Amino acid sequence: MEKTKDKILVVIPAYNEAENIEKVLKEIKKDIDYADILVINDCSKDNTYEIVRKNGVKCITNVFNMRYAMAVQVGIKYAYQNGYDYVIQMDGDGQHIASEAEKLYKEAKKTNADIVIGSRYLKDMGYPCPLFRRIGTKMFEKMIKLFTKRRIADPLSGFQCLNRSVIEKYAKIGNYPEFPDANLVIEMLLTGYKIVEVPVKMRLRESGESMHSGIIKPIKYMIEQLYTCIIIVVKYAGKRRFKL
Amino acid sequence: MKNIYFVILALVILVYMVQSVRKNSLSIKTSFWWIIGCLLILVLAIWPKSIDWFANMLGIDYPPALFLTLCVVFLWVVDFKYSKKIQEQQEKITDLAQELSIVRAKIKDMEKKEKNK
Repeated sequence: MEKTKDKILVVIPAYNEAENIEKVLKEIKKDIDYADILVINDCSKDNTYEIVRKNGVKCITNVFNMRYAMAVQVGIKYAYQNGYDYVIQMDGDGQHIASEAEKLYKEAKKTNADIVIGSRYLKDMGYPCPLFRRIGTKMFEKMIKLFTKRRIADPLSGFQCLNRSVIEKYAKIGNYPEFPDANLVIEMLLTGYKIVEVPVKMRLRESGESMHSGIIKPIKYMIEQLYTCIIIVVKYAGKRRFKL
Repeated sequence: MKNIYFVILALVILVYMVQSVRKNSLSIKTSFWWIIGCLLILVLAIWPKSIDWFANMLGIDYPPALFLTLCVVFLWVVDFKYSKKIQEQQEKITDLAQELSIVRAKIKDMEKKEKNK
């Protein structure tokens, strides 16, 4: 376990994750003990909050259910206000492995990248990805390539490490996207931010329901993402690339 | 007067709008476009030939088509204006709620520390 002078915050949005959150927190405390942990409890109906507090971890409970992206932004705003140098975004369902988070941070330091994405598909890491999701990811990968000439193999990964300049930008975005995935990757690349991918291992969630479960939700998600990506490309077409 | 019903309708809506502004349930700024709409209906109800004259001037053969087009454009503009306003307010509400969540957690922590002293 490496010691560092940087202030690092692990942000975990959680909604009804009582069955998974304890294991996630224990792993983080064990594998990245130099980082602070912040759980954003998005008005869970179960006892997520009590479990988090029992484990001695800081928890912010949203005043109403804001959904995944806005919950993440709460954590980013907290990091911005409290002077954190890096934020590591992790899901509360146990998909993201704490020992892999260190890879992201190390890569951010080594390459001076603004965003480091933990990728399931950069190398075959044995992630048993459902077919529909794999097709969707491939489609977004091609789209990013088309618009930015960059290959991002896993733009839908929520396992990311953000540096201070990205923390500042995300904290100040008024209309933070509902699904900060391929659309945000395209926007950040078009505005000159450096994005790097690192192959990481991930697990499938053990219990609880994914926010993309069912049939209608993924279709709606794909249509919204496609539309948002096109609008973002139109928005930044011909504009000078800049960084905050 | 054939269009008396439309005159009455326009007057009723106009009075309702003015009353809403007086009771502060509609702001002066918001009421502007609705009052303008009411006044237009009133003008058309009193002088229905004015739409014929206007359509003739624009080279439109069927005057009611002009009236309906103007109505659709008017409603579309108002709706677009409010869509923008809703988006703006949604962003402000989210920002306030996020700040409130952070501040509330800070207060809880402070209270806990105070208790433990």
